[in-house]
Amino acid sequence: MHVDMNAFFASVEQQANPALRGRPIAVIGTGRTVVTTASYEARAFGVRTGMNTWQARQACPHITFVVGDNRKYAHTSARIVAMMRDYTPLVEVFSIDEAFLDVTGSLNLFGGAESIAYLLKARIRHEFGLTCSVGIAPNKLLAKLASEMQKPDGLTIIAPERVPEVLEGLPVRELCGIGGKVERQLADLGIQTCGQLGRYPVAALKRRFGVVGEKLSRMGRGQDEAPVIPPEKEDPVKSIGHSMTLEQDVTGRDTLARYLLQLAEMVGRRARRHAVSGRTVHLTVRYADFVTVGRQQTRVSPTSRSQEIYRDAVTLLDSLDLTRPVRLVGVSVSGLVHQASQLPLFDGERKATLLAAAMDEANDRFGEFAVTFASITETGEKGARVISPSWRPDGVRKVDVR
Amino acid sequence: MNFTIEKEAFLKGLGRIQGIVEKRNTIPVLANVLLEGSDGELHITATDLEVGMRSSYPANIAKSGKITVSAKKLYEIIKELPDREVAFAAKDNCWIEVKCGKAHFNIVGLAADEFPSFPQSSRDGGISLSSALCKEIIEKTFFAMSLDESKYNLNGIFLRAFDSSGETRLRLVATDGHRLSLIDKPIAGNVPDEVKRGLILPRKGVLELKRLAEEGDGDLTLSFQDNNAVVRKGQTVVVMRLVDGEFPDYERVIPKANDQQALIAVDPFLHALRRMLILSSEKSRGVKMLIKPGVLEVSSSNPELGDAREELDLDYEGPEMTIGFNARYILDILQVQDETRVRMIFKDQLSPGLLRPEKSDDFLAVVMPMRL
Repeated sequence: MHVDMNAFFASVEQQANPALRGRPIAVIGTGRTVVTTASYEARAFGVRTGMNTWQARQACPHITFVVGDNRKYAHTSARIVAMMRDYTPLVEVFSIDEAFLDVTGSLNLFGGAESIAYLLKARIRHEFGLTCSVGIAPNKLLAKLASEMQKPDGLTIIAPERVPEVLEGLPVRELCGIGGKVERQLADLGIQTCGQLGRYPVAALKRRFGVVGEKLSRMGRGQDEAPVIPPEKEDPVKSIGHSMTLEQDVTGRDTLARYLLQLAEMVGRRARRHAVSGRTVHLTVRYADFVTVGRQQTRVSPTSRSQEIYRDAVTLLDSLDLTRPVRLVGVSVSGLVHQASQLPLFDGERKATLLAAAMDEANDRFGEFAVTFASITETGEKGARVISPSWRPDGVRKVDVR
Repeated sequence: MNFTIEKEAFLKGLGRIQGIVEKRNTIPVLANVLLEGSDGELHITATDLEVGMRSSYPANIAKSGKITVSAKKLYEIIKELPDREVAFAAKDNCWIEVKCGKAHFNIVGLAADEFPSFPQSSRDGGISLSSALCKEIIEKTFFAMSLDESKYNLNGIFLRAFDSSGETRLRLVATDGHRLSLIDKPIAGNVPDEVKRGLILPRKGVLELKRLAEEGDGDLTLSFQDNNAVVRKGQTVVVMRLVDGEFPDYERVIPKANDQQALIAVDPFLHALRRMLILSSEKSRGVKMLIKPGVLEVSSSNPELGDAREELDLDYEGPEMTIGFNARYILDILQVQDETRVRMIFKDQLSPGLLRPEKSDDFLAVVMPMRL
């Protein structure tokens, strides 16, 4: 079963503020004003995610803009996921507004998948005033396809017998996992629909796409073996990073360094929270023209100290061309190893470790960046201000170490 | 160069230097062993520019000369030779012929002038130590050396001689930033200035020195030349470049104000810790020590496997306390104790713990706890 919240951010805002209900609204970020979600009413005018405010107003002159509140959306999402867990423990949170449920084991308890879907939809509507589209199918691929078919407030079932008929004329792009590039490559082979993809000789697909060829063939026939993976069974992550799109393009090296300090502190904190240290520090820089470069440096010994991550990141920054304006910077660590809570013998190191621990504790209690480095206290609102891909309702993903 | 030599002696010499030869092959000749035949002796030399070794073995030198050849390959060849006597000939074009019984090898070597020069130090002066003493002082400290090559000044053992109540004592200290090990022994003889000032022997050199001390009896002499330590024992000389750096102020980290003391038997403690270690993982190497009057309870837990607990007799009358330690660090110390009991002198769960043998004062170890 795939559950897809309809116009999630916009709908949450409309529920919070009755004056916005039934009206075209678009949720935007702070600083750079790009639409993250448009309400259905606004979508009717052609307003889409990714447009900037000027374009949105062009399409819909009487649109209302609402600044996004990520905490609210994360909180609501967590509560919805908790509701889903009432029906099965196998809930895979796909994104902040989508989840997969494997209800195979719960069918008898609730009288079938359709019943579960109705129950869930009703409860979500009753509790949060939000609608969602649900897709029910034999596997994840088809369930996601099904939920797309009726929006908003839909419930679509693709029974196994119907699969060939549904896929026959469906454009390949509709399948989750096939993007523009693959679509073009398939078109080169004369494949436009799923039906054609399913019938195309597997050997030829393998020659063209390698290992993935076999998977594509199966997708064309609506086959998908992927299990629904609940959080505890998820693969642990292999790196920890944070990036931020700057409110305005920046060219000053020192200004960029201050942002790196912020990011390094966020990365360090997460690493320390998971009791891991990273051996390699990565820096990502995206210029105003969207050209993105990455640099990395492997350390001799792993670290989880914000200052050390910062220093490495700045060294990498200084190796780049900073005459062009920068719109996004990112810092991450990889090559993670467990760092138990061994205290250092020597004074200097011991103080640094205890200081970092004390800062972490204060920030845990009073909020991110409650206590931080003096040089970044002036850079306005701190944090990446976006919902991290590693966000999960129950807390951040487990970390992988070797 | 032409010589014949007993296979066993040749093999032994070549085996000894395998650990020294540069594995990373930055300079090709460093992967080779230098063979020099003269005056009834074959000299075998290997170096990685930081640590070098030269041993001499009796041989029948028909024509003196020198040549270098792959240390590993030659060792492998000699190991597999059938008979007792090996005939070795190095030709002018640097090709080497090895004959033994009916086996015949022809391998390419590299000219000896490519090989770095080995310091020819004087045979007198320096400190003299018995193998037993040398073995003891290294055994009791080397495990605490840092494995982290970036911390170069901790990547070895600190050596210093000082005068105390009329006698000269030699002190060795090693630490990796989490634990420290220190030993003091009286020595005789003239102490070179370098040792009075204090110096750091490199990690690799220390390990070679340990091996040298463990091989049979006899005395070792330690002398210095141009920033190198030269250790001589019998027919072998080991040269190592001293670590160029300052050893941290170790005196400061030895706790002076620890007010709680307990006595515990080494053997049961050691075995209990080994048992606790079975359940630990990289994530949870910590062992919890619950210290109560008369009893020490050690425990470990691993979220994926389970937990373990054991009680030990403890000679202790103070307040109850819980301290976490890396079990490995404590084990390293217990494993090199000669006495049957040790003193544990501690303060609280965030302060360094001190371990000393019950009676003797020449050894101490400091271990920082883990936060549990």
